[in-house]
Parts: sequence; structure tokens; C-alpha cells
Amino acid sequence: MSHPAHISFARLEEIVGAPHVLTSPEDLALRRVDGFLPSAVIQPADAAQIAEVLRFAGAEKLAVIPSGGCTKLGIGSPPARYDIALDLSRMNRVLAYDPQDLTLGVESGMRIEQLLRVLAEQKQFLPLVVPYLERATIGGIVASNSSSPLRHAYGGVRDFCLGMEFVTGEGSQAKSGGRVVKNVTGYDLHKLLIGSLGTLGVITRVNFRTFPLLPAQRTFVAAFSAAEPAFQFCGAISRSPLTPQMVEIADPGAAEVIFSGGGPPQAEPRKWSVLVSAAGLPEVVDRYARELGHMAAAANADELEPLGDSEGPVVLARIREFPRLILEAVPSAAIFRIGVLPTAMPGLLGELSSVATRGGVDLISLTRASGIVYAALLPKEGEAATVPLLSKAVQEVFRVCGKSEINASAMLEWCPPEVKLAAGGVWGPPRPDFGLMKRVKDSFDPNGVLCPGRFAGGI
Amino acid sequence: MQIKPQLVRDLIALLGPKAVLSEPEDLMLYEYDGSVELGSPECVVFPSSAREVSEIVRLANRYEVPLLGRGAGTGLSGGAIARDGGIVVAFSRMNRILEIDAANLRAVVQPGVVNLDLSRAVDHLGLYFAPDPSSQKACTIGGNVSENSGGPHTLAYGVTTNHVTGLELVLPDGEIVRTGGKNLETSGYDLNGLFVGSEGTLALVTEITVRLTRKAEAVKTLLAVYDTIDDTTESVFEITVRAITPAACEMLDGFTLRAVEDYVHAGFPKDCAAVLLIEVEGLSEAVEAQAAAITEVCKLHRAREVRVARDDRERALLWKGRKEAFGALGRISPMYYVQDGVIPRTRLPETLRRIAEIAAKYDLQIGNIFHAGDGNLHPLILFDERDRAQFERVVAAGGEIMRHCVDVGGALTGEHGIGMEKNELMSLIFSPDDLALMARVRASFNPAGRLNPGKVLPLGKGCGEIRIPHIPASAATPA
Ligand SMILES: Cc1cc2nc3c(=O)[nH]c(=O)nc-3n(C[C@H](O)[C@H](O)[C@H](O)COP(=O)(O)OP(=O)(O)OC[C@H]3O[C@@H](n4cnc5c(N)ncnc54)[C@H](O)[C@@H]3O)c2cc1C
Repeated sequence: MSHPAHISFARLEEIVGAPHVLTSPEDLALRRVDGFLPSAVIQPADAAQIAEVLRFAGAEKLAVIPSGGCTKLGIGSPPARYDIALDLSRMNRVLAYDPQDLTLGVESGMRIEQLLRVLAEQKQFLPLVVPYLERATIGGIVASNSSSPLRHAYGGVRDFCLGMEFVTGEGSQAKSGGRVVKNVTGYDLHKLLIGSLGTLGVITRVNFRTFPLLPAQRTFVAAFSAAEPAFQFCGAISRSPLTPQMVEIADPGAAEVIFSGGGPPQAEPRKWSVLVSAAGLPEVVDRYARELGHMAAAANADELEPLGDSEGPVVLARIREFPRLILEAVPSAAIFRIGVLPTAMPGLLGELSSVATRGGVDLISLTRASGIVYAALLPKEGEAATVPLLSKAVQEVFRVCGKSEINASAMLEWCPPEVKLAAGGVWGPPRPDFGLMKRVKDSFDPNGVLCPGRFAGGI
Repeated sequence: MQIKPQLVRDLIALLGPKAVLSEPEDLMLYEYDGSVELGSPECVVFPSSAREVSEIVRLANRYEVPLLGRGAGTGLSGGAIARDGGIVVAFSRMNRILEIDAANLRAVVQPGVVNLDLSRAVDHLGLYFAPDPSSQKACTIGGNVSENSGGPHTLAYGVTTNHVTGLELVLPDGEIVRTGGKNLETSGYDLNGLFVGSEGTLALVTEITVRLTRKAEAVKTLLAVYDTIDDTTESVFEITVRAITPAACEMLDGFTLRAVEDYVHAGFPKDCAAVLLIEVEGLSEAVEAQAAAITEVCKLHRAREVRVARDDRERALLWKGRKEAFGALGRISPMYYVQDGVIPRTRLPETLRRIAEIAAKYDLQIGNIFHAGDGNLHPLILFDERDRAQFERVVAAGGEIMRHCVDVGGALTGEHGIGMEKNELMSLIFSPDDLALMARVRASFNPAGRLNPGKVLPLGKGCGEIRIPHIPASAATPA
């Protein structure tokens, strides 16, 4: 916010070149974090320059926040300090792609959409179907551990990231893991950077295993009159031999968001929808159609319908962009990402719904059947006192997640900065492993150069 | 002797006399693991709870002696060897399955639970624990977590780290902490990701929450038989390139499979150059198609025969041949040295040619039996420990194979760990800065270096050499 007069732009210009030190109000505004503006945007060309910038920042006691497509800078606590925005967009190349081996090394500033195009030329992909697809960069996706609906079949970033190169807060260039699909050489430090929100190191290169595009894909939608049968249906899928690509449960509000761009006309609005994608050989997809049909009927669904060739991609894109669609419609929404066991999901959604009713806010939820609930709290239309209402509800959500029968792990991913402050934080109650996280932070960034204050417990 | 009699008395007071060994003849069993390393602990203790483990750690700190965890001692890189003496914390009494939550596909286990015992315990639910090291009848889940172990089927299902959601740990200062839990994800740093595969150098693991996997509806096991090694490795290459993902793809060369056949009678043809043992799993429709595609690839690369196991018995026999192969080789050679390098899968043909050249150059017999599908080699170098000159050639050959793996963009170890065998080789892969960061992370948990000293990170004395272990003539044959 305040402009530290002592920043030596000359030194920064020396490191990255004058054209890559930006100070125009627009450039600064784009990298705004929870109302804080940097004093300069630095665009390094490589890891060596990043290391120099970080060493300089350490010596000058400046705080640095890395950024890529600037789509997820709002995730985390408000920064304690913020001087330099480190913009990785110049580091946007594929460094090594061996399609025959299904492995890939890519610079962190590369946009995922562009990368997916490169992979598609070889009939391959990465299961990172994440919000803000056209702007999000690999570094930002990895650092925020963005969740993809394909997680159901492929796991999260940690499951297909083979290794990383990064620069620690101390300005040391380091790496861990490697480029091969199986590897236990040394500590898996790169796993720590996944979801670290830039607080440990600046990710410069990520190695992934890639996956073959599957021949046929179809998405089926089953509509239910209530949550309970929808979860029964999901339970039946999980007990069956089927291994779908994606299983998402949309509450009636989420169904409206997802289907407003196309999809089957809903006979009756206010329905719960379960969306299941199958991929593979045509005979395999046909088998899904048959068996999902039986399971849906047994759970008293309205008919199970496949999405058409044109509507399928539209609906999938809207599932992918779910948080963004909510935020575009209601910028003051508070969206939680909650890790929870399948059997606790109905209970959790019930609790959330009573939190919303009691707190005078609306609730929309989209649930990944494998164990993640996205729950959005929205101020009611025309409500003036949104911040106190939302903040109260946010605290209540953390409380119900802590109940022993729910035992969910919640993080408030998106919300206005005022709510973050008024609700007492986005990370929930103090955690037993805080001491361990602090030791990790101190090993990577002992002087608190990177994103100070943004992580759990004020790390 | 670092251990004072008073420490032994304190340990006995804490755990009872039956849970503490300190007589030299009792300790001998704990001097080795599955590797060619050796080291003598001064005391072995058998805790039965995390609290006891914590007290043991506090005592070790008070008396300033090193300590380390031990599962079944099947590790292949010397991880469980008491390199600097001290206390071995053996987890064999902490072997209970604490919870099976089938609906959520989770189990909570103590570290001493044997890998296969967990799969057996959930078999009636149609579930299993996916990581399946060939040692799964003996090795413990605590050991699997420490080594981030793999196995034949981790090609499709991922290694141990992909199946762990929560840990209870005793830190080197005695604190008991939990990371993760049963949920698929928890916010905060991925501490499970750090501790899994840390080879017992950051904490002792006292409880593990794992994911269970549903058994596939259909399985087909194929045996492709070849007359040349090149045809075999090129088939693996082609399977990768065509993006067919078998559940497992294992290779045994002719030398190895002859030894196996004599021992297990799995039905491997003894006159061939190599076989691939390939398994496909999934929905019956998909399995049929995949088996057909794989057969086509193998035939295209001149497989002499592609045989499909007709029933569970045949299938089990083929796998028995694979899983007991190390034991079979143990019968024909006094000792063997297993390597664990990884290469990009597409470099398999040239790499096996290179290994053959190295064997010829050093006049050694090298068997190859390994996880071909993910490029994880296990060259087995046979030797007689009484022949010191031969053993030095073994070590030199091992080093050359390692360097080749590194040169083609691979890794030093795919599943057996660095331990005390390859720690001086770490600098082939990692820069001083990389290693300094790893050392700093270790020091942040294990500041005095008292927990499992001398493992994973280089001690700084050697420079890029495999350790030449001290092998006394009486060393037992690991199997
Ligand atoms: C014939 C044979 C076949 C094998 N096949 C495979 C294979 O296919 N794939 C594979 O990955 N490995 C394989 N291995 C290697 C070995 O079985 C694995 O590394 C296994 O996970 C070790 O388990 P363990 O219980 O024997 O551990 P140990 O050997 O007892 O210990 C291994 C390491 O873990 C540490 N440790 C053990 N328990 C704990 C604990 N509770 N807390 C902290 N640290 C602990 C020890 O200190 C040591 O560093 C094989 C070994 C043999 C002998």
C-alpha cells in the first residue's frame, strides 16, 4: 500500500532490464492483492534473475508476491507487506516435451490453455481443467493447488507432478523430484510447494506426466428431488466397478449456474443434479450409460440423460469455471473449498444450509464426489449489511466443519478482503500441524520475503 | 559403546524387559536389512504405542544416542541399518489395523502392519491396498511410507505417497503430531508429501491413514515370450508410445527366468531371451480391447508367443514367479546387489544394451527383472562376497549403470530409496544448493541428526561414489 521510498529501482533494472520494471498505475493495479498495491512489477526472464531479485528483496527487507495470470491472487490471507510483484509471464515456454514418454517440463509462466493446445496436437492432455482456464498459468495453478473436476480419475497436482525447479525465499535456486514417472531420489520438496500460495518459493519449472486423450467421452446428468438420493446415487457409483472421469453433485443453485449456458431443460427447476463423465472405448461408454441408468433409477432419479455433443463441452466448461461464474455474478460471494469424506457430505451440506438460513445468506454448492465441496455463501439481493452477515456465516461454517461427525477441512478460497478481516481469517481454527508448517517455512524463506502473512497461522 | 547401562535400565523401566534387547547375540538379527549393508545397533526396543515411542525418543535425546525406526528390515538401501549404532525402534508390536472405513475407502493402521495383511483384511469388501512391493508378504506399511515404495501395479495406481492421506508422527524431539487426516485434502502445506519417502530421517511414523482401492472387475494377465532382449524392450517402448496403460508391465530376462523357473515352476519357457508379464485391469470391455492391443504390439515386435493366463491359478503362478524372483536368484548366487535406477521409458532398449556391455566389461553376471512399464530398472549383479576383487568390480559396474541412468535423464532410485547406499551419489542429480535446502529441511525436524544418521544426504566425504560396504565373510544372503 504505502510506497517504500527506499526501493532501488536502479538495482532492479540492472537485474531484469529497464523495460521489465513496470510502475504504471495499471500494471500495479492488475497485481493488487486484497487492496494492497506493489511498488513495482518485475518481469524476470529466468530463475537466475528471480534469485537476484529475491536476494535483493531480502537485503532490503522487501516483500515479494509472485504472479502469473493474476486470476488467483485473492486466495489467502491479506499480505502483511507487499512491495514487489514478480510477474512470471515472460517465462512461458515448454522446456521439454517427450510425447512418446508421456512426460513434460514447462516454465511456470505458461498459460494452461496454451499448454493444453500443445498437448492436444499429440493427442495428450493434463487433467488440469481449472477455473480461469484462458489466463491461468501453470505456476499459479500449482501454487494454489487448483482443483479440477477430473481429479476424480486422475488425482490432484501432487499425483502427476514429477518434479519442480524453484527459487527459495533466500534466493537459492533449487529443485526436487525429476523428469521420470517413478522416483524416490531425495526429499519430495516440490510437494510442499503445491498449494503453498507462493510462500515457500517461486516455482520456475514444473515437470508433469501427461495422459492420452481418450477416444470417446460422454457426460450424463441425473436429476434428483433432494440431496439424499443424489448422494445415494454417488455411493452406488463408488461401490460399482465403474471408474468415471468426473462425478459432480450440483445443488439446485449450482445446477442453475451450470445449465444456464445449455444442457437439458429441467422439467422442474429446484433439482439436485449429479453429473458423471465417462471416457474410453464406445462399448465402455455404452456400459456406463446402461449401468448409470440402473443406479439412477434405483436412487429414484428422474431419467438419466446424456448431454449432447454441443451442450457437453459448454456444461463442462461451466463446471470448470464454477467459482468464477459465481464471483462474476456476485463479486461479494464467499466461496469455501472443503475437504470432506463422502459419507459426511450429506451431513455437511445440511449443516451449511442451516448456517445459511440462520445467517440470512444464500448457499450454492458444487461437490466433487471424491471429497471436495465448493460452497458459496451469497448475500441476499438488496441486502445492505453484507460484510457482517457474511463474516458471521463464515465463522459458522468453520465451526460446523469442526464438528466431530463432519470433520471437514475448510479453507475460504474466495471472498472480499473486508470479510477476510471481519471473519478473523480464511484458514479456519488453529491447526495441530502449524509448528511443522512453520519449520518448513523457515527452511525455505527464513526472512519472510515471500508473501508474508498470506498463509495459515500468519505464515 | 555409546549406550550406558543406565539407558538400557531406563528403557526396560519404560517398556518392560521383554521389549528391550541388548545382548549381542539378540542384536545380530538387527545388523542387516535387505541390502548389502551392515551395522550393529546397541539396543533394540519394541514399543506398543506412540506415547512409548515418544518416551524412547526423549530418552535417546537425554543420553544423546542415535536411533532409527525399523519395520520388517526388507529395505534395499540400508535404511534400517544402525550406521552409527544406538537404538533400533522396531515396530513389530505396533501391528494392528485400527479402522477400516470401506464406505470412504480408508484404513487406519499402525506402522508394523504387513502390507499384504491389510489387503487380505479388506479383501472380503472387494478392496485392497494398491502399493504392492514384491516383498509385500513381509514388508510393513511403516516401511512403505518411509521409502515411498512402489511395486508392479504402481504403474497404473501410483506409489505409496498417492495412497496416504494422514500420518501420526513422533518428531525427533519427542513431540507427537498429526498431518493430514482421512480427508482427501487438508489446507496448508502437503506435509504428508514431505514425510512419505523421507526414509525415516525426519520423524518416526506411528500411525498411517491410507486409501483403499476397489478391485477391478476384470483382470487379464499376459505373458509375452521373446527371442531377443531388443524385441522385448521395444515392445515396452511401443506400449508407452501408443499410450496403452497396463496395470503392470514387468520384464524378466532369460537368465533370471531360468533361475525362477527352476525354483517356482511358474511355466516360464526356459529357452527364451526374455518375457514380459503384462496385466490389464478394468471393466471387462476395456480389458478385452487392451489385451488385444497389447498382443498386437508384442506380435509386431516378434514375440514368439503371447500367452493369456487362463484362470486365477495360472495368473497367481505367473506372479509368484515374478515376486519370488529375487529369492530364486539368491539360491544360485551367494550374494547379489540390486540396483534401482530409473530411465525415461523410451530409453529402455539402449539402456539394456548398455547394461549388457557393462556386464561383459566387468566380467559379471547381471540379471534383469524389473518394472519395465515405468522405466524402473533392477539390474541384479551377482557376486560371491569372499571374492573381494570381484566385489569391487560389482561396485564399479553399479556406478556405471547409475551414471547411465542419470545421463539419459533418469533418477538414482525409483522405489528402494537412497539410504546409505547411494547418498554419496546424490550430487550426480542435485546441486549443492538443492542438497543444502534438503539438509536444512531435515535439520528443521532433526536438528541434532540423531534420527537415522548417515542416510539420504551425502556426508560430504565421498564424491559421487557408491559406497563400498564392509561385508564380512559371514554376511547372510538377503532374500
Ligand atoms: C525381495 C524383495 C523385493 C522387494 N520388492 C520391492 C518392490 O517391488 N518395490 C519396492 O518399492 N520395494 C521393494 N523392496 C524393498 C523393501 O521391501 C521396501 O522398501 C519396503 O517398503 C521396506 O519395508 P520394511 O518394513 O521392510 O522397512 P525396513 O527395511 O525395516 O525400513 C525401511 C526404512 O524405513 C524406516 N522405517 C521403517 N518403519 C518406520 C517407521 N514406523 N517410522 C519411521 N521410519 C521407519 C527405516 O528406518 C528404514 O529407513 C523389496 C525388498 C526385497 C527384499
